[in-house]
Amino acid sequence: MKTIKITLLLLGFVMLTASGTFAQKKITGLQIMENVYNRPTGNDMTAELTMTLINSSGQKRVRKIQQYIRDFGKVEKKIMFFVSPADVKNTSFMNWSYDDPNKDDDQWIYLPALKKIKRISSDNKSDYFMGSDFTYDDLGDRKPSADNHKLLREEKVNGVDCYVVESTPKDPDYMYSKTITWVIKGKWIGLKKEFYDEDGELFKILNVKNYENIKGYWIITHVEMNNIQKNHKTIMELSNVKINTGIPSSKFTQRMMMRGL
Amino acid sequence: MEKLLNKLLKIPYVILGVVLIITVLFIFPIKKNARMETNLDKYMPQNHPAFIYSNKAEKWFNIKDGIIIAVENKNGIFNYKTLTIVKKLTKELQRLPQISKEEVTSLYTADNIVGSEGGLDVKAFYKRVPKSKEKLEEIKKRVESNDMIFSRLVSSDETVTVVIAPVIDSVFSQELYRKILTLAKKYQTPENKLYVAGRPIVEGTMALLGPADMKKMVPIVLLVITIALYLTLRSVKSTILTLLVVLLSTIWAFGLMALVNIPVYAVSTMIPVMLISIGVAYGIHLYSHLHLYQLEHPNAEKTEAVKDMLKSMFSPVSMAAITTIVGFLSLLTSQVYPIKYFGVFTAFGVFVAMILSLVFIPAGIIAFGLPKIKKRTAEKGSNDKFAYSFAKQVIEKKNVTISITVLVVILAVIGVTKVWINSSFLDKFEKDSDIVKTDRFINEHFGGTSTLNVILDSKEKGAFKNPEILRLVDKMQRTVVGDLKVVGNSFSLADYLKRMNKVMHADKDEFDRIPESRELIAQYLLLYEMSGYPDNLWKVVDYNYSKANVTFQLKSDNSKAIDAALNEINSFKDDFKKLGVTINFAGSGYKAYVFTDLILQGQILSLVMSLFIVIILLALMFKNLLIGLIGSVPIVLTAVITFGIMGWSGIPLNSTTALLSSIAIGIGIDYAVHFIEQYRVNSACGNKLLTAQKAMAHSGRAIFYNAIIVIAGFLVLLFSVFPPNRELGFLVSLNMFISFAGTLTVLLILLYKANIYFKNKKEN
Repeated sequence: MKTIKITLLLLGFVMLTASGTFAQKKITGLQIMENVYNRPTGNDMTAELTMTLINSSGQKRVRKIQQYIRDFGKVEKKIMFFVSPADVKNTSFMNWSYDDPNKDDDQWIYLPALKKIKRISSDNKSDYFMGSDFTYDDLGDRKPSADNHKLLREEKVNGVDCYVVESTPKDPDYMYSKTITWVIKGKWIGLKKEFYDEDGELFKILNVKNYENIKGYWIITHVEMNNIQKNHKTIMELSNVKINTGIPSSKFTQRMMMRGL
Repeated sequence: MEKLLNKLLKIPYVILGVVLIITVLFIFPIKKNARMETNLDKYMPQNHPAFIYSNKAEKWFNIKDGIIIAVENKNGIFNYKTLTIVKKLTKELQRLPQISKEEVTSLYTADNIVGSEGGLDVKAFYKRVPKSKEKLEEIKKRVESNDMIFSRLVSSDETVTVVIAPVIDSVFSQELYRKILTLAKKYQTPENKLYVAGRPIVEGTMALLGPADMKKMVPIVLLVITIALYLTLRSVKSTILTLLVVLLSTIWAFGLMALVNIPVYAVSTMIPVMLISIGVAYGIHLYSHLHLYQLEHPNAEKTEAVKDMLKSMFSPVSMAAITTIVGFLSLLTSQVYPIKYFGVFTAFGVFVAMILSLVFIPAGIIAFGLPKIKKRTAEKGSNDKFAYSFAKQVIEKKNVTISITVLVVILAVIGVTKVWINSSFLDKFEKDSDIVKTDRFINEHFGGTSTLNVILDSKEKGAFKNPEILRLVDKMQRTVVGDLKVVGNSFSLADYLKRMNKVMHADKDEFDRIPESRELIAQYLLLYEMSGYPDNLWKVVDYNYSKANVTFQLKSDNSKAIDAALNEINSFKDDFKKLGVTINFAGSGYKAYVFTDLILQGQILSLVMSLFIVIILLALMFKNLLIGLIGSVPIVLTAVITFGIMGWSGIPLNSTTALLSSIAIGIGIDYAVHFIEQYRVNSACGNKLLTAQKAMAHSGRAIFYNAIIVIAGFLVLLFSVFPPNRELGFLVSLNMFISFAGTLTVLLILLYKANIYFKNKKEN
């Protein structure tokens, strides 16, 4: 069904863009960002995440993580197990993210050396994900309603047609003063994104290097985030991606966290 | 050479014109190119291992000098107003382009690692400033229970908190300095007082105060020297010509510097000091001779008089100058570039002063006429009489002089052992100046305003996840902070791990220690990265956990404090070595410490080298090794006694005071050459005592005038408001005085006793 929806949408856009100004009236910045936010990615996903952190002097740290994600409707649950480096093997992390905007995420971590599960409460979505250059918001958690969106223009990036949308936060204290997103028309993938800091200076650039169609879903499999101000970089690559394999809900429990891989 | 000089006398106006043109040509590059080098890093020898390592470490860990702004509220800082000031100040500082935005540390930006609901939490102490009492009380409690913050960012009596703003490399400017002061003033309220401190501020104030004070003092110094010159030369023309020699040689030296595009370093400001004290001497010796000639030949033609002056003065002036030049060139052996430049350009300036004295002054005399001789034959008589009886007294009471000298030298040598090297910037200020008071205030409330970075380096990746190594780091920190009063605090990866271990064990004090296993350490660190923003971690450990940065906070930036800390830290060297870890040091305080040492080594080396060069040159010039040895005596005396007095009076050696020993060489040579030359010339009379008396009347007089003029000029600096400038004035005067006294007494006695020039003659 969903693939059909996407093709229909695609067709629709070919027609809309053909009629120029009319198209711009039709789709708003907010709609584009909502399309991105709501882009279907399947009910569950199993994947190996390789996270490479590179600092300004070119030193690298590589972490391999086995991750499971399942959408339960009102809550999205995610469990991750460290595969390497060896000294953190089987350290696991679980995150429950709720649709209800008033409800904070629940997060737990299991440290095998301590043999204890600890709850970690993050202050907000502006926190960085596992020491990377991505905040939870950057990873797609930020709801479009938190920002005001404006469609700036349409342009080609590497031969791909994109909408360019500027988003300014409604909360003036937010860590970014604005972001500019290049959204691939029809696929609703944010291909590129620029983040501007509180002072309006370019802060970070996100680039999607690869995305794959897996079982009819557009899955981003290689993304890089470049912190311009610090010259620090994070590469996230997904491999062995499996969609809709029917991960049991019992996978997302504290017991599983402690059991490890 | 003399013939050439005599020929030049025929074209005085051409010479004056040429000198003027060259001077103008040198002024252009000065106007265009001259720039002051204020970046202290540029002064350090970049290929010295200590600097190479420190610079690298500064990059690894982002070590920067921080401006410290303290906010004091006598009623406690946990109130709406004070916390708002801290927040606003933090934000404004972050917005300054010269400040490393992400690294501004204050209670507003600090991470609070706490245990919560049986978990770990890294969060801010506050974002929006709370107004309610309960919430403020809550912040207070959080601060009090966090060892990483309490007594580090907030004083233990809770009346002071600091905002630390690291300055991006080499951008500290007077503009920023003023901005920071304005900022601090802006947020000051009756209850909340703001104080500004930190190394950049100290450096900034110094860079502002020193030259500003000099600008005020130099005209007065020149005025006093002009007056003194006039009083001795008794002629406006002569005074102007002598002063011009000094001024032009200074302009030419700085002109050449600008022409070859070498910036003006702080030590370069010593070049005029050298040229004034040395350059004035040449003119005085020339005029002194001219004066004597005129007295003897009242009706002499000006050309004749000048020719006679050149004839007798050419060789002593050029010998003195060449020896001095070689002495300054010996500074080329220094490892410190600004010192090399100082040596080269002072040598060039001395060379110019010599040429101008031998060409420009004669040309001036020919062009503008001889100085008028007032009928003061009586004065000449009294002058000679005084010189004669002085020389006689010195020789008759030589035992007294020698014993006093020996006694003074013994005392001086004891004093020399008390001389200490000080690379401190703060010690250069008045004890009751604002900057020193602020520093003391912050030192009283916190660990210290000066930092010493200890870099632990292992070849092994992940070494700093090894509990054994971390326990040793912790032990070192506790030992150093515990043993040394001057070390107030320390900070390292060990503090993070202890804090996390404690928090993860329900805040139990017994877990305030390094975790037992490598895995637990790795997992805590991962947890920390996941909970907060890990950048703070990269200030204490590198990306691969193979290098660690331990920061010690010192209550003083002077070399004694750094020395004590270095010794204590180095006592852990062997223990670390067993674990494959080496100890190194970094940071601007450490670099200044090494730097001062380097300058000193170079200075001592150059002093010893110059001494040998002087002995050899003098021996060659006078064709007698003994004369070389005797001639070096004033230099040695001056250097030893000056350093001795520095030791006794507690004036430390630093980059400027060490350089002053160059005056000892320059002036010492000058006096020795002139005096020995006159002694040699007058020895023709065959009477030893008369020879001594004649030398005293001729050369001694000039030496006396030269010393008096320069001393009078530099004593003006004693009224300076900037202590280093006062020290400068005192030490230059002291150097001049000892050189003068040593030459006229000890040198004379030695010449007399050594029987030189009289060996083959019958004793009269």
